[in-house]
Amino acid sequence: MITVNGNQSVEWTEGLTVGAVLRSLGWDYVLIAVTLDGEFVAPEDFESRLVPDGASLQAIHIAHGG
Amino acid sequence: MADKISIVVNGKAVEVRKGIRLLDAVREGGATVPTLCRHKDLLPLGSCRLCTCEIEVDGRTEFVSACDFVVEGPLCVATESPEVVRHRRTLAELYLRRWPNVPAVKAIARRTGVTASRMTGEFAQSDPASCILCGRCAAACEEFVLERIVGFAGRGMERHVAMPFHQVDAHCIGCTSCAHVCPTGAIEIIDDLNRPADPRKIQSAGMKVNAELATLDPHQCRMREMGTLNILQVMDKYDLLPVHNFQYGAHADAHKIYGTVFRDKYLTQGQADGCWPGCSMACAKTADGFELKTGPYKGHRVTVDGPEYETGGGCANMGCFDPDFVLEFNFYCDTYGVDTISMSTVIAFVMEAFEAGVITTQDTGGLVLKFGACDESLELLHQMARGKGFGVLVGQGVRWLKERWIDEGRGDPQFLRDIGMEAKGLEYSQYVSKESLAQQCGYTMAIKGPQHDEAWLIFMDMVNNQLPTFELKAEALYYFPLWRTWFGLMGLCKLLWNDVVPADNYKEKEPHKIPGHVRNYFKYFEGMTGIELDEKKMLDQSARVYNLQRCMSYMFGKGTREHDLPPYRAVGPVTVKEYESRSERYDRQLKDLVGVDPAGLSTADKVARLRKYREEQYVKTMEVVYRRRGWNRNGVPTVARLRELGIDLPEIVALVADGQEPEA
Repeated sequence: MITVNGNQSVEWTEGLTVGAVLRSLGWDYVLIAVTLDGEFVAPEDFESRLVPDGASLQAIHIAHGG
Repeated sequence: MADKISIVVNGKAVEVRKGIRLLDAVREGGATVPTLCRHKDLLPLGSCRLCTCEIEVDGRTEFVSACDFVVEGPLCVATESPEVVRHRRTLAELYLRRWPNVPAVKAIARRTGVTASRMTGEFAQSDPASCILCGRCAAACEEFVLERIVGFAGRGMERHVAMPFHQVDAHCIGCTSCAHVCPTGAIEIIDDLNRPADPRKIQSAGMKVNAELATLDPHQCRMREMGTLNILQVMDKYDLLPVHNFQYGAHADAHKIYGTVFRDKYLTQGQADGCWPGCSMACAKTADGFELKTGPYKGHRVTVDGPEYETGGGCANMGCFDPDFVLEFNFYCDTYGVDTISMSTVIAFVMEAFEAGVITTQDTGGLVLKFGACDESLELLHQMARGKGFGVLVGQGVRWLKERWIDEGRGDPQFLRDIGMEAKGLEYSQYVSKESLAQQCGYTMAIKGPQHDEAWLIFMDMVNNQLPTFELKAEALYYFPLWRTWFGLMGLCKLLWNDVVPADNYKEKEPHKIPGHVRNYFKYFEGMTGIELDEKKMLDQSARVYNLQRCMSYMFGKGTREHDLPPYRAVGPVTVKEYESRSERYDRQLKDLVGVDPAGLSTADKVARLRKYREEQYVKTMEVVYRRRGWNRNGVPTVARLRELGIDLPEIVALVADGQEPEA
């Protein structure tokens, strides 16, 4: 199990990537800043960066509009 | 994952991203290739030919300009083969013959080992700041600010850079993009109108944004393609798009009015931005040649300015998902001088009241005002403009209508108060705020009424969970309204703050504030005034005006606690049907947040329990915000706060004197 933004849980599976976590939440927003256990993950690495079990992922939607 | 390709650069294997330009690929391979026309923020021009390299693909050799050659598959590249070097030296001699004193040309000559040109002729230009015809300026004009003011004129040796017909073009606003990219200093900008203290400071910040819009916007918000309407799709996806008078946050037909639909079928692209000539974002859009189907201009082909996001959101709120309707509604609101936000919110309110039986066709003059009634909504607009019919009453706004209907004993007064989406007499703008306490306060506590331009915190609060405590929400409701008020004070648009985002923004400590762009704005201020600015100074500048506004709001009878309380529709589900549409979410909240087991409760009970909790949460947040802002429990700025800000002038203190409370 991993934690997202401190208040959501996503089931961990072997080979889980940052991109897969975002998709599982339906978060396809273009301006997302992600940290994995406190370390920044660049957008171009979303699909290759593996998420370990028990990790804490923070996905900050940079709010445009408004 | 981006496809990787293995290529060979000067005999060394290098893995590069598929689609990369060859110039960038060879640099990743450690090679340097000279160029005069390449600028990192512009599309490759391929005009100077200095970057020509020799490539071998499938045993075939050819010479290509590296800056605009796209690497799609494996290849071997030689950046310094004998043929390439000979070609480059010849070019360097030609450049040196014509522009012997231009530093950039001299550097190229040194790089290629050329000390003197073998060429002869009368063409030499001795000025070290001569134009070398690289074309960067013309490209910047087009790519940065979507203009074609600077371009080439003449042929052969007469070729030169000029404005059309060699006259100063009125469309040029002196944005300085051309000068910024010029490699020789041939274009000089002299700002003798505004007399900024430090024009270079303004230029360096402004050019960064120009480059971001040219290179990042197509992959981010696509403001240049469809303006603010781009976000309608996002709102629909995240259940934040107002549908049927803010009951729901998404609709199966919403895709019919996504920004892409307007971009593909209606919007006139590549036109000068009517909002602010020379703006590199150019988000204001128009639909040209749109034929009106109703009203006094029926049959006319007109130009419609917009639609912006809020117009699209307002139409979703009325259940009207027809793009032709959106444009016609937009046109007539503009023509009659009414705001699409207020108009759509009041019509959505009328529609819900009609569907709930509060009013009937007897009241509406026969109009069947159900959600999705496009023709009837336009008729209301026309009636309002003509001063005849039910539309005249609708034009009075939500507050007037609900109070009238309550006075007339129609329907349940509480229901009308709950669904009448206004505060301080102004209609709510077009975001569903139910799942974000901070957004509920951002809307309802806004001094002018529930506009989102003070604090737009939905994502920060609801999705990002960045504001889990009352104190953090209050801090956001301190910072953002002041930051956004500051734009207004300076006469600067907010869109260049957060509608394009620096590529490295994710590395910032507070990425949601987009600190790189906040710094840009500080530089604009410092460059113009010569006064140094930081966050605290900016917030204090803004807080002086913000608190003065609140004092004036108090003077007008709307600056106290009861006017900062929202209709419940802004806070949570009013009806059983509304609750049941998102029952999984609300049941979970009852269990996790309220501590009530929803099993066995009727939906009406669940609505009531959730309501009690949410209303208490709202009031708690509001009170913490008051404290953070230096206002008392009734929402009135304290004299101590006015003194702290240096605005405790007797006439200002007098405005709020009778609203002061004894110190706790």
